[in-house]
Amino acid sequence: MTLTRRTFPGFAALFSLPLAWVLLLMVVPYAIMVAVGFWTRQFPLFYPDFQFGNYAQILADPQYTTVILRTLKIAALVTVCALLLGYPLAYFLVFTIRSQKVRNLLYMSVIVPLWVSYLLRAYTWKIILGTDGALNSLLVSTGLVSAPLDIFLYNQTAMVVTLVYIFVPFMVMPLFTVLDNIPRRLLEASEDLGVGPFMTFWKVIFPLSLGGVVAGATMTFCLSFGDFVAPVLVGGPDGTMVANLLQTQFGAALNWPLGSALATLVLALVLILLQLSSRLDRAGRIDL
Amino acid sequence: MSIVRRSAILALAAASLLPQALAARAAELNYLTWEGYAVDGFISKFEAASGCKVTASYVGSNDDFAAKLAAGGGVYDVITPSLDTVPMLRLAGFVAPIDTAKVEGFDGIYPEFSKESDVVADGETWAVPLIWGSVSLIYRPDKLAATPDSISVLFDPALKGKISLWDDKSALYWTARYLGYDNVFDLTDEQLEAVKAKLIEQKPLIRKYWASAGELTELMANQEVYVSNAWTGLTSKDVNNLKKGFEVVEFTPKEKAEGWMDSMMLVKDSPNEDCAYKFMSFMQSADGQCGLAEATGYFPVNPKAVQGCMSDALKKERQVDNVEFVKSLVMWQQPARLDKYLETWNAVKAAP
Repeated sequence: MTLTRRTFPGFAALFSLPLAWVLLLMVVPYAIMVAVGFWTRQFPLFYPDFQFGNYAQILADPQYTTVILRTLKIAALVTVCALLLGYPLAYFLVFTIRSQKVRNLLYMSVIVPLWVSYLLRAYTWKIILGTDGALNSLLVSTGLVSAPLDIFLYNQTAMVVTLVYIFVPFMVMPLFTVLDNIPRRLLEASEDLGVGPFMTFWKVIFPLSLGGVVAGATMTFCLSFGDFVAPVLVGGPDGTMVANLLQTQFGAALNWPLGSALATLVLALVLILLQLSSRLDRAGRIDL
Repeated sequence: MSIVRRSAILALAAASLLPQALAARAAELNYLTWEGYAVDGFISKFEAASGCKVTASYVGSNDDFAAKLAAGGGVYDVITPSLDTVPMLRLAGFVAPIDTAKVEGFDGIYPEFSKESDVVADGETWAVPLIWGSVSLIYRPDKLAATPDSISVLFDPALKGKISLWDDKSALYWTARYLGYDNVFDLTDEQLEAVKAKLIEQKPLIRKYWASAGELTELMANQEVYVSNAWTGLTSKDVNNLKKGFEVVEFTPKEKAEGWMDSMMLVKDSPNEDCAYKFMSFMQSADGQCGLAEATGYFPVNPKAVQGCMSDALKKERQVDNVEFVKSLVMWQQPARLDKYLETWNAVKAAP
């Protein structure tokens, strides 16, 4: 449809609100963020400028690269663990459960935790993993260990466990949808041709589900990459992630220019990853 | 100045004015302070007497005050930074000078605080002293082999995984004193490097850096840590009140404890200036000074106000009429290179 004088009022009525929304709440703030990234910090505040000092500082000081690499590592671990947990779960829900009712019920039970406050769910892990926590009580009362262990909480493992728990629904949802949409006759055809269950999975189901894998992995990765609550609640002294650095620069350090430059870099990194994942997604597409 | 730059500033300014417009309501006071400084006991007395409704928000460290004010004006009316942060807030233009004639009881405050060179600057008074105290070390006597007397307990490998430290630039002050430097607020680059290296070396011993008084209480009560720096009076009282079957004890290390004085500052262009002055006056009264001192375990700044509301034993414990006690402490000052200090502390936290 081309935009003519006649269709314009309708077009404006339909799209002006969402466009204004995108412009005001996405484009303008991002533009401000990029611009502030070139400003200069001068005690006690900062002033408008155009210079690359903030970027130079981020690249020169190892503290920023250390944290960015750590964040990538944590996010990748969370994504892999969520996939290893989420794929079998989605598969089980779609192909093993025969009753539609039971399937929906189980699917809902995966989604329901999302209705509970994120903070509360993360905090719960502190109670489970703590020195005086539920896990240690269990271990001590069953006699598996003689004294409570303090290896569960306040480290990167605790962060990965918590983030996997919180973001696993975002992995299961797209996987459930793609698996559920695979025509059953394809599986029957594969069976008829004498292909065993494993090869049917490997040759038919898995390739068809790649779109869901990519979508789930991208969501899980991006969400955990930007997380700042898990490091604060269950992370230890080596748990600082990129979002915590940003918080510090906009908070305690009062260095919005450096924080904006860092945020711009993080945004660029995430955009590159999204680009890669959409390519991967296209590569995995099979014409039926 | 380019158009883009100008419009960027305008957009930021517009965004910061928005909450101001929303905040213009009847008699109220928005108080940005520390956890435990706005407990019901004396705040409700103030509300009843003044008709001003108090809404309190909390900070985790002194660096949060400027950060919260920079995010937009008109949200807070009175803030309570420590003395070391007072000059920075004045220089940043976030606060207005105080008309001391409007603060009842101002004359009763120790002159050591009310005439302090950071409180009075450019011929104006910028802060009304509120309360003071120290930061010392706390530990679990049942878990330590010997009675500690030094900051070295924070670096003891025998306590691996059982040590905590305040997530604040003051971690540098503690480490600098441990390393034997006296110029803790004006360390040279080499000294800062040594402090940073020491703190990074300490990281494997640390269970968690605590961000708020509440978090430290929780860490102690849940037996996650056995030793930490802590607000003298407050944390030990809170942990021991939980009756967990063990006790925590405070001690002053031989390298000295730290001293601080929190004071009330009036946020610039506060729409609730009336309530703000009523509040600052109330906090210099017997109800205010004794109320806050009781709630926190800290020391009153106004000996005149507490004459009738404290027992003699408590007066002695809270150093009433003994402002000399200040000299036994390393009183916080604004570091000569605040940015460098913050960057160093952030580098420690970011390190693996």
